[in-house]
Amino acid sequence: MIKFEQVSKTYSGGQQALSKVDFHLEPGEMAFLTGHSGAGKSTLLKLISIMERPTVGNVLINGHNLNNISRNQIAYIRRDIGMIFQSHQLLMDRSVFDNVALPLVIEGHSRKNIASRVMAALDMVGLKTKAKHSPVMLSGGEQQRVGIARAVVNRPPLLLADEPTGNLDPKLSMEIIRLFEDFNQAGVSVLIATHDLGLIARMKYRTLTLKQGKMITDGLEQNDEGVS
Amino acid sequence: MSILFKGRQHGAKQQGISRIQLFVMFFVDHLRQSLYSLGELYRTPFASLMTIGVLGFSLTLPGTLYIVVKNTEQISEQWQQASEISLFLRSDISDANAKQLVKRLSVWSEVESISYLPADKALEEFEQLSGLGDAIGYLEENPLPAVLLVVPTSRHATPTAASLLLDKLRQEREVELGKLDIEWLERLYAILDVAKELVFLLALLLFFAVVLIIGNTIRLNIMNKKDEILVMKLVGATDAFIHRPFMYTGFWFGFIGGVFAWLTISIVLFWIDWNMQDTLALYNLNLDITGMDFGAIGVMLLISVGLGLMGSFLSVRRHVRDIEPQ
Repeated sequence: MIKFEQVSKTYSGGQQALSKVDFHLEPGEMAFLTGHSGAGKSTLLKLISIMERPTVGNVLINGHNLNNISRNQIAYIRRDIGMIFQSHQLLMDRSVFDNVALPLVIEGHSRKNIASRVMAALDMVGLKTKAKHSPVMLSGGEQQRVGIARAVVNRPPLLLADEPTGNLDPKLSMEIIRLFEDFNQAGVSVLIATHDLGLIARMKYRTLTLKQGKMITDGLEQNDEGVS
Repeated sequence: MSILFKGRQHGAKQQGISRIQLFVMFFVDHLRQSLYSLGELYRTPFASLMTIGVLGFSLTLPGTLYIVVKNTEQISEQWQQASEISLFLRSDISDANAKQLVKRLSVWSEVESISYLPADKALEEFEQLSGLGDAIGYLEENPLPAVLLVVPTSRHATPTAASLLLDKLRQEREVELGKLDIEWLERLYAILDVAKELVFLLALLLFFAVVLIIGNTIRLNIMNKKDEILVMKLVGATDAFIHRPFMYTGFWFGFIGGVFAWLTISIVLFWIDWNMQDTLALYNLNLDITGMDFGAIGVMLLISVGLGLMGSFLSVRRHVRDIEPQ
């Protein structure tokens, strides 16, 4: 599903964020991406969603090299990737319903179709009753779940999450991860960047660890390199 | 259709909607978005009114000048009909000969009427008008020639026809000098041409200013919606989709500004008309100011909508591109 081939990324200031990263996430696989802050987790996710371009190397999604994707095509690429952010990236002046509906509005779905799909997505994250609320009225965990509903509302084959549990207590974090497991069981490939090692320890999923831009472990084994 | 995933379809295609429905949906969508943009303007009435006011007043000036020039042309057409030819007779022509000439000329088909001013009458008139008074008494002889004032028929009153007539009149033996009173008219025309050029230039400059002002207003709108644009880009909105509401905002600025200009021009014209009636009555001139006909209103609205769209296009193209998720 996602394949990195000798990918390096150097920012214009000369700071090397990733160097020669190689990995392959199989279709339908769920994996964690971990490492210190500044280890390159966010950069790696940005290369997948084409917010950044690699300096060297190739990033492939489903066999398509992202280097061949033009600027005008990026929008269409992002419609295939559900993205979840630590800062939610919700529009605070719109209702929960409108926030979740945004990807469908952009794709030009009919009103009826939008309504049924948004309600289905909100049902999945347990927020069906709060569709008309403003995101401001919701708790942190609920806001994060609105973000997840928005990411999955157009049923993308790939989900990326950047610190989705960053501001949440362990119980809420677990609930969020369970949600990702549900989507994964429905066939969606999931990549979660997190430095919450306690969380990873309780799950038996593949873990990719970055240290100073290098992929140091790739597997199920526990590592103690991360933030304690 | 997805670029990455063959067979995964997007939006309307996924729902198996017919082309006709898509076509209708396209217009309904645009109508909805244009109304949404209009609503946005309504939600910030003060800022919107200021921009609309700038646009409206900027269009009012060239619009009013255009009408002034057009009306001046109409008035001068009235004057042109009244052009008359002065024939100065040779000094050795006697009074009787002059009267004969009047008789001869008055049967010409080109001539409407002729009045004869003998030399001594002309001197009397000059004495009164010039205020030189007694000084004229010291002249040994009358220096003024007798004058015939020939008014051509309306068909021969246009500048070219009148000058042809003048040439013909000059052939007459008794005539020493002939003069057509339209030279000042030709000068007026030249001035009007310059005025037209100036109006055009002024309009061009103001249009340029309007484009910049609207562009800047839209830029501020874009900055205010930066977060929203970021989120939209993250969930896969194309640039065109993000541009659309701003383009509609520009459209409404242009349209409402155009209507605004039309209203102010109407008020200005009404005011000029009201003020000028007394003045014109003194000159025995009758003038109905021609306002803007439907063609002119249509052109003005088109221009102002065009300016609004151009301003917002320049702005969105530049600034929406700059907002990229980091």
